[in-house]
Amino acid sequence: MIPIPAFLVLAGILFGIGAVGFLVRRNVLVALMSIELMLNAVNLTFVAFNRAYPRAHVGHTTAFFVIAIAAAEAAVGLAIVLAFFRLRKTVRSDAADILKN
Amino acid sequence: MNDLVTLWVPLAVLGLGVLLLLVDVLTPPKKAAQADVGWLVAVGLLVIFGATFLVDVQGVAAYGAYRTGPWALFFQRLFLVAGALAAFGGVEDVQKRTPGRQGEYWLMMLFSLSGMVLVPGAQNLLLVVVAFELMSIPLYVLAAHGKTDPDEASAKGNAAEAAVKLYFVGALSTAFTLFGLGLLTGLTGTTELARIGAAPLQPLAALGLLFVLGGLGYKIGMVPFHMWVPDTYQGARAPFVAFLSVAPKAAGLAVIAGIFAFGMQTQKSLWVGPLGMAAFLSMAIGNLLAVTQSDTRRLLGYSGVAQMGYVLIALATGEEFGLAMVLFFLVAYLFTNLGAFLVVHANAEAGAGFEVDGLAGLSRRAPKLALALACFLLSLAGIPFVVGFWAKLYVLLAAYRAGLVSLVVAGVVLAVIGLFYYLRLLRAAYMTEPTVSRPDERFGGPALGLAIALCVVAVVGLGLFPKPLLDAATRASHDLGVPAAAPHVGAR
Repeated sequence: MIPIPAFLVLAGILFGIGAVGFLVRRNVLVALMSIELMLNAVNLTFVAFNRAYPRAHVGHTTAFFVIAIAAAEAAVGLAIVLAFFRLRKTVRSDAADILKN
Repeated sequence: MNDLVTLWVPLAVLGLGVLLLLVDVLTPPKKAAQADVGWLVAVGLLVIFGATFLVDVQGVAAYGAYRTGPWALFFQRLFLVAGALAAFGGVEDVQKRTPGRQGEYWLMMLFSLSGMVLVPGAQNLLLVVVAFELMSIPLYVLAAHGKTDPDEASAKGNAAEAAVKLYFVGALSTAFTLFGLGLLTGLTGTTELARIGAAPLQPLAALGLLFVLGGLGYKIGMVPFHMWVPDTYQGARAPFVAFLSVAPKAAGLAVIAGIFAFGMQTQKSLWVGPLGMAAFLSMAIGNLLAVTQSDTRRLLGYSGVAQMGYVLIALATGEEFGLAMVLFFLVAYLFTNLGAFLVVHANAEAGAGFEVDGLAGLSRRAPKLALALACFLLSLAGIPFVVGFWAKLYVLLAAYRAGLVSLVVAGVVLAVIGLFYYLRLLRAAYMTEPTVSRPDERFGGPALGLAIALCVVAVVGLGLFPKPLLDAATRASHDLGVPAAAPHVGAR
């Protein structure tokens, strides 16, 4: 049986990859994917921790809520990216540079 | 059934949203362009606000996940007033901007508000997260509203860019908050906030706390998570920004206060340091960067970052008195900042733009508007006899009583820097000649004027009579159940 800390380490690594991807990549679609990866790391944390409290099912239920939230957020996010693309003809985040000092 | 009664405020806001949907659908297409549904929203929210004083409901609902009492009610009233004022301020703008499609804007606003009023009552992590998202997701949509504006070719796509920035920062902050909460939940095996607070003090819990603070810090725009604030404020529509700059920040602070000041009381040593640091950095960076801005919206954005720093000082005390001062400050900030944004919007409506120079000669072009702006700026700067003075004084007093002397000194010194750029705006409005002067200038419509007038009345009124608000804030913070400061206990 794989110990819980192993899952947590994996979740931490996934979250880190997502965070780095979000900061480094200039493509807003990749940034969206990075956020999904981070939310999946969150799910993994919740589900792995659930094993420590098998009767409570807190982790499992919370994971469902996180999945729903991620879906709702992605739907709005894609719409916003689409609107941005229509106006600027690019999905690169460096194009978002009109608003500055 | 009982649950429905306890949850009546969020349900009433949601009900207003459904009513609006019906009105929107049943309005004939020919009349849709003229329909001022914004009035319905504003009046409806004011009615709900009034009803909160008549209906006395306290208790828990949904198996203890939601609790209503003075604390929740205080924030709910704040959100309802913010929503109503922003609705009055936005009626004409939304109608001019998207004729025939006003319903979309107001519907999103009401849905966002329905999530917002759930936030302060949430006692369970799941409800906190869901309510927070219900608040945030419509805000992303609202930021992009009216993104293709034909009469503003140069500004084309600004709202889209503002929305992109707001969305990505918001989504990232959600992921961080959730990850932190995941760690905290995992250590305790529960999602109830009161029991999470009792989590064993260990490195993983500290990491979780840091993630939560970072994630929520994005929402309230504290340094170092403030990058989105000026850009979004500049790009989105001013009446919406007026709302965005006050209500979601208050909701974020409600959660931070709920988790830290209340839940993590036993582990104060963990979070007082980071919170104090964030408070200092927010005040310093917000005030210093605001000095260099030439766009009023960006200036007010950075000033808002600085104001959040003052709130965080009071929060970092971790005591009941400090918490009451957080609430007092938030109400003062609500009327002041919302009003300031609406004045700036009214001036832009008259064709003067959003630049600081655009305010030139406002005292001659629109004396009443200039007077309102003066009220708001003096309140933001913390000059006596307007509400902002008491807010700053009480916050610094709370910090002094809690022994955070270095933060008090920093707060006073940086407030002087703040005075500089607030007076710069005032000088532009009062002491420079108008560059554009047309006799037919119109500074928005009657609803916008009403919203600004209400803000002025509140800022001046609460400045002269701060006592009722102070009492309400004290009651609300007492309801959260933070232990009183040590000298207090000895005095009793």
